[in-house]
Formats: sequence, structure tokens, C-alpha cells
Amino acid sequence: MYLIGNIALILGIVISLYSLAANIVGLKRKDRRWLESARGGIMSLAFVTSIAAFLLFYILGTSQFQYQYVAAYTNSQLPLIYKLAAFWAGNAGSLLLWTFLLSIYAAIIVFNKKKQNSMIPYVSIILLLNMLFFYIVMVFNANPFEMTDTIPADGKGLNPMLQNPGMVIHPLTLYMGYVGLAVPFAYAIAALLMKKMDAQWIKLTRRWTLTAWLFLTLGNIIGGWWAYLELGWGGYWAWDPVENASFLPWLTVSAFLHSVMIQERKGMLRTWNLSLIILSYILSLFGTFLVRSGILTSVHAFGDSNLGTYFLVFMAFMMLFAIYVVATRYQLIKKESKPIEAYFSKESSFLLNNFILVAAAFAVFWGTMYPLISETITGTKVNVGAPYFNKVMAPIMLALILLMAICPLIAWQKAVFDRFIKNMLAPLLTAIAFAIILVAIGVKGLYAIIGLTVTVFMFAVHLTEFWRGICARRKATKEGFLKAAIQLTRKNQRRYGGYIVHIGIAIIAVGVISSQAYSQEVMKTVNKGETFKVGHYDLTFKNLAETNKNGNGIVYANLDITYKGKDDGSIKPEKIFYATWPEPSTEVAIKSNWKEDLYVVLSSWESKDKVTFVVKINPFVSWIWAGGIIMLIGTAIALLGGKTTSSLRVKSQQAGGQK
Amino acid sequence: MSKNKKIMFGLSLAAVAIMIMFFSTMPSAGSKEVSIEELMTKKDIYQDEYVLTQGLLKEDSIKWNADKIELKFEIFEEGKTKYLPIRYEGVKPDNFSDDVIVIVEGFLREDGVFEAEKVQTKCPSKYEGEDPNNYDAGMHKKMNENKQD
Repeated sequence: MYLIGNIALILGIVISLYSLAANIVGLKRKDRRWLESARGGIMSLAFVTSIAAFLLFYILGTSQFQYQYVAAYTNSQLPLIYKLAAFWAGNAGSLLLWTFLLSIYAAIIVFNKKKQNSMIPYVSIILLLNMLFFYIVMVFNANPFEMTDTIPADGKGLNPMLQNPGMVIHPLTLYMGYVGLAVPFAYAIAALLMKKMDAQWIKLTRRWTLTAWLFLTLGNIIGGWWAYLELGWGGYWAWDPVENASFLPWLTVSAFLHSVMIQERKGMLRTWNLSLIILSYILSLFGTFLVRSGILTSVHAFGDSNLGTYFLVFMAFMMLFAIYVVATRYQLIKKESKPIEAYFSKESSFLLNNFILVAAAFAVFWGTMYPLISETITGTKVNVGAPYFNKVMAPIMLALILLMAICPLIAWQKAVFDRFIKNMLAPLLTAIAFAIILVAIGVKGLYAIIGLTVTVFMFAVHLTEFWRGICARRKATKEGFLKAAIQLTRKNQRRYGGYIVHIGIAIIAVGVISSQAYSQEVMKTVNKGETFKVGHYDLTFKNLAETNKNGNGIVYANLDITYKGKDDGSIKPEKIFYATWPEPSTEVAIKSNWKEDLYVVLSSWESKDKVTFVVKINPFVSWIWAGGIIMLIGTAIALLGGKTTSSLRVKSQQAGGQK
Repeated sequence: MSKNKKIMFGLSLAAVAIMIMFFSTMPSAGSKEVSIEELMTKKDIYQDEYVLTQGLLKEDSIKWNADKIELKFEIFEEGKTKYLPIRYEGVKPDNFSDDVIVIVEGFLREDGVFEAEKVQTKCPSKYEGEDPNNYDAGMHKKMNENKQD
């Protein structure tokens, strides 16, 4: 099996080199047979990589401790699901996962013979370069099939923090997003190489980009959810360098998804779109580099290794290559770009949205890299933490939400101001009424109230957009309300899918703003039977007890809860003593309802009768997860719809006429 | 001026505004990273500054007062014998033992005690399992004891 694994990896290098060569020869000689052969090469590459991937799953699942990777990340007592999930717990495995996904993506692209177009050979060259790099790294530096000198009786076990359902899906989704960005990048470069300046590459990759963006979104949200459940500090986002690294491409791809609409319809912003997708792809590599290089202190990073250098070199190579390609074709791109026709139009509002998103990405990048920048310039390392990010990002995000509220109301080309005001009136009044109610019931905090009001405004705008569409449709077709709603969305999936995503973001914003502004924390040492108060909750410490699960010892505390004087059940925060880990791990207990989470941590104990707790009340945190699900649904709707843009243009003009 | 240019001009003004915002928040929001050695020898320089420092935890120095929720401990630099006393109003973080790396943020008081506002622990390699060939708990302990002499 050792042989199979290593042969698979080495074959990976050989086949990708061959396919690269075959593609280049085929393009030079304009010979279909060479290109066909390269296509076969990519298919077999997917096959070979799948063998390697399944092999790693197999040795992990069956606990073959003669392999270093298996011994380092699992032990025999680990539940099967975590044995398998240890695939992406370490460096070598996560690189194999990356390669595996990439090879599957590449195979999907070349698979359908009918859908072949002249761009495919170029696209596959770019993807092959990527795969070649990963194979080389695995063979020479991080081989998942390396053997141990002596076979250990048992493995080291998986880090307790990684033993959570979040760990099973979070890295997977994030990688699917990262890897997915390679596809639109490859198409963009292919279009440039072929000097095709139309929007075909954008149309061909719309689903790829949207899927990648969806996975990035999910990856980030699930990551936050995992941090919230597992790390025990009561938050979901810490602006840690590694978190920022996955947030950066999300921001730039979000910008890209909007600006490509302008290019599709109007042929504007060509250079900008190319730059955005190149930037997004480079940022996805940058994220991988950051996690593996150890240049920044982060709790998430893998151990030090020289892998960082590999990534830096590859990243620099790809970046220079992309810049070269864009620069040599710049005149061509420029020639066919069209200028913007009016300030007050959807085009310019999208441009502003892009600007804000890119500014946000820059702010995050700047803060993440600041320790390195300051060390180079002044000699002292200045770390910027959450306060910087919160201060800078809050106004940027507020502007973004405000723009999201206004954008749907602005028409293409040249908007009519009167109609804009008329459409805005109802949502604006709703938002103002909401603000007045907040102040009236005694909610404090100016910034949070402003933030929530703007969010409600944005939410209301989208609801009225739906409402207007449904009413117009009912008038024309005499359909029932529900049917009209479904038909409306189905007839224009890209648009209304997008609106649903925006609504999801509004829901998340409510969660983020209120949990940032209104969370309460109490740290308290109590004796048996003692009651303490947190917000409207009264917690009574009943007793401390011990139990056993999966070979791990668990110490837990029993607490009775009353909410506003009424009995509200009990809660059991834990400390788990993992057999393979020297220190116990906190297992948070959370009691969730629609408006707040009661978050209880068993911190430490002096004796059986004297225990210290950290208790938090985090308002509206569950809205963040709910908003994530709504975003997922919205993106899925947008993904499934919108086959051709020309038919869409006709339809949207009709819809515009109805309003 | 064409409309495109005007829009560009407006956007670049906004960009400048955002840049100013970055730089103005930077010093107040940042923490200087200094070594324990430097912090203890140049006390007056760092007196009123928000700093970040890190070191190994001296395990027998931990004093935990459960009633006051107050944690006192000392950290030291690898291979050095200077101990920085730290006071923190808060609970013990996970993994608070043995030769764990402790990252603290806060202010150095006049009496030389570091008043921490944030205490975090970091395993030398958090996600990587320790190298099964090289790691030896007993050896690590001994290394620490030797350092303390």
C-alpha cells in the first residue's frame, strides 16, 4: 500500500507533466490528437488522485499506524468519523485533499466532449500547473504516505479541539471554495491568452464562481460556529490571521460576482473583472501560504515547516504570470470597454459596491500584515487585534448594508429619481419606526441602533421588492399569492436568488451587531446550592459529577436555570479529559432560543462543592447560523437559474416595464 | 471631465478618507510586541504602553484565587532566568500548565507586575500532533527544571 500511495503521487507528477506538454504541442501544431491525449491525461490524473485519496481514507479508517500521518493524527479509540476527518487535520493530508478536489474539477471541465470549446486546452494548462505544484510539494515535502521507523502501538490521537462536527465540514467546504477559484482564474487567463475579449469566460464560469463563493461562505460561517461551540471564549470570529485569510477571497469574489453582471450586460469593467478574479485566486493561495508558513502568530496555524517557501514561490510565479498576461493585452482590453453613462444608475452603484468590498479586503489585509509591515519599518512588531478590525470594518460594513438597501431600487442605465424615492419610502418609514421603538423600549448604544436600523431598512427594501413583483405578477396572471411568489422567483432566479442572499446577510447582521453590542458576561465562583444572576437568568449550582464516554473521562456540573423567575430546565457544562491529551478541554453548554444564547463554561473547581463558571448571554447569535442557511438557499436558487444572459435581458426589461 | 473620470475622482477621494481612517485607528488599536527581557530592562519606556509579550509558564508560580477570580503567575523566556510576574482578573485558559507558551497583553505597572487584560495559551504546535519519535514528556519536564536552576 505504501507503494501504491507513492506510485500514485509520482504518477501524478508524470501525468501532469505529460498532459501539459501534450496540450502545448497540440496547440502549437493545431493537432486534435495531442489535445485529445491531454484530455485523457487529465481524466487519468483524476483517477490516480482518487486512488491516493481513498487509500489515505482507508489507512486512516483502519488505523494503520505504520504510516506517520495516521499515527500522528488518530488513535484506535477515536470514533470512525474523526479517524476519517483526520484526512485534513494535518499538512500532508490537506494538500492531498486540495489536489484531489482540483483533479476532480479539472476532470469535470474536460469530461463532456460536446461541451468542448477552444478555451479548454488553455484552461487545462493552467489547472495542470496548479496540480503539478501540489504533487511536487507532496512528493518532496509533505508525503501523506510516509512510514514510521517503528510501528507505534497506538497513535497520538486527534487534537480535542478538532473533535467536533464543525471540523468534519469546515475545512472541506473552505477547500472546495479555495480550489473552485482556480477554475474562473484559469478561464480568465485562457481568454486573455487567446485574446478573446468578450464575456464568454464569465458566462462559462458563472456557476463555478458562484459555487466557490458559496463554499467560502459556508466555510467561514461553519468555522465561526465551530469556534463558538468549541473554543469556549463565547465568540465566533476573532480576526485571527488565518480567519482573515479565508475572509479576504470571500470579499473579492463577492465584488466580482457583482461587477461581472455589468460586463455581461454592458461590456464595461473588463480590466477590473480580470484583476478581481486574479486577485481572488492569488488570495486563496495566500491563505494557504499563511497557514503553513508560520510568519504570523496564529492559534490556527500548522506547525512550522518550509512549506511556506514553496507556496510563496508558486504564488509569486502565478502572480507575475497573470500580471504579464494582462499587461501584454491591456490595449486590447481597453479598446472594447465602454464608459459609464450616468452617475445615478445601477452600474455606478455596483461600482461603488465593488469599491467598498475591495476597500474592506484591503483593510483586513492591512491589519493582518501590519505586524510584519511595522517590524520592517520601525523595528517593533505592532500587533493589531480585534479593536482595529472592529473600528475599521464596522463603518465599511454599515456602508455596504446601506448600499445593499439602495441598490435594488436603482434601475439600469439611468434611474429616475422620483420613482427611486417613491419605492424607498415604505422601507425607510419602517426602519425609522423600528429605530423609534428601539429607543422607546430603552435600548442603549447609538452605533448598534444605527446599525440595526440600516439593516432593517435593507431587509424591508428586499421584502417590498418581492412584494411588488408578486403583486405585478398576480395582476397579470391571476395566480394565488404563493404560486405567484414561486413563479416570480423561478422566472428570474438570478435576481431573486441574489435578493434572498441579501436577506440572509441582513439576518446575519442582526446577529453580529447585537451580539457585539449587547452580550453580557459574568465570572463567578459559587458553592454548592448557591444561586447567581446573569441578565434575566438565575443559575443554581447543584453538583459536580463524573462520567465516562468513548474512553474519555468527563467532569460536568449540574446547574438549574430559571428565566424571569420561571423554571427553564438545567444545563451541564463539561470538561473532557482525553486519554491522549495531557490537559482537559472545555465543552461549552449552550441553551439557545430565538433571541439569545445562554453560554455556560465550567472553568475550574477547588473542590466538589466549589466551582468557577463563566457565563455569557449572547443575543441573537442563532440568527447568524440561520442567516447562513438562508444565504445557502438563495445562492442555490441563483445557481440553478439563469442559463443564458440574452433571454434574461429581455425578461428583466419586461419586468422593469411592469413596475 | 468625462463622467468616468469624475466617478474615479470621487472614488479616490473616498479611498483617501478610508486610508486616513486606517492610520488614525492604528496606534490606539495595536499592541507592541516586546520580549520579556526588553520589557523588564526598559521599564520606564514601556510604562504606559499597551504591550504584548510571551513566554513559558512557570508552573509552580500559579496562584489562583477562586473567590476574587484573580490569576497570578510568572512567565520566563526560554534559556533565561528573569521571571515576569503577571496579574490577571479572569479565569485560567485551557491548557494552562507545563511548558505551554503564554501570550499576555496589558500594561506594566510601576511595581513591575504586569497587569494583563488578555491571557492566551499556545501549544508549540497546536494542530500538529507532537512528533511521536521525538516527544518525551519526561524529557521536557527535565529541560524545564534545568532552566530554573
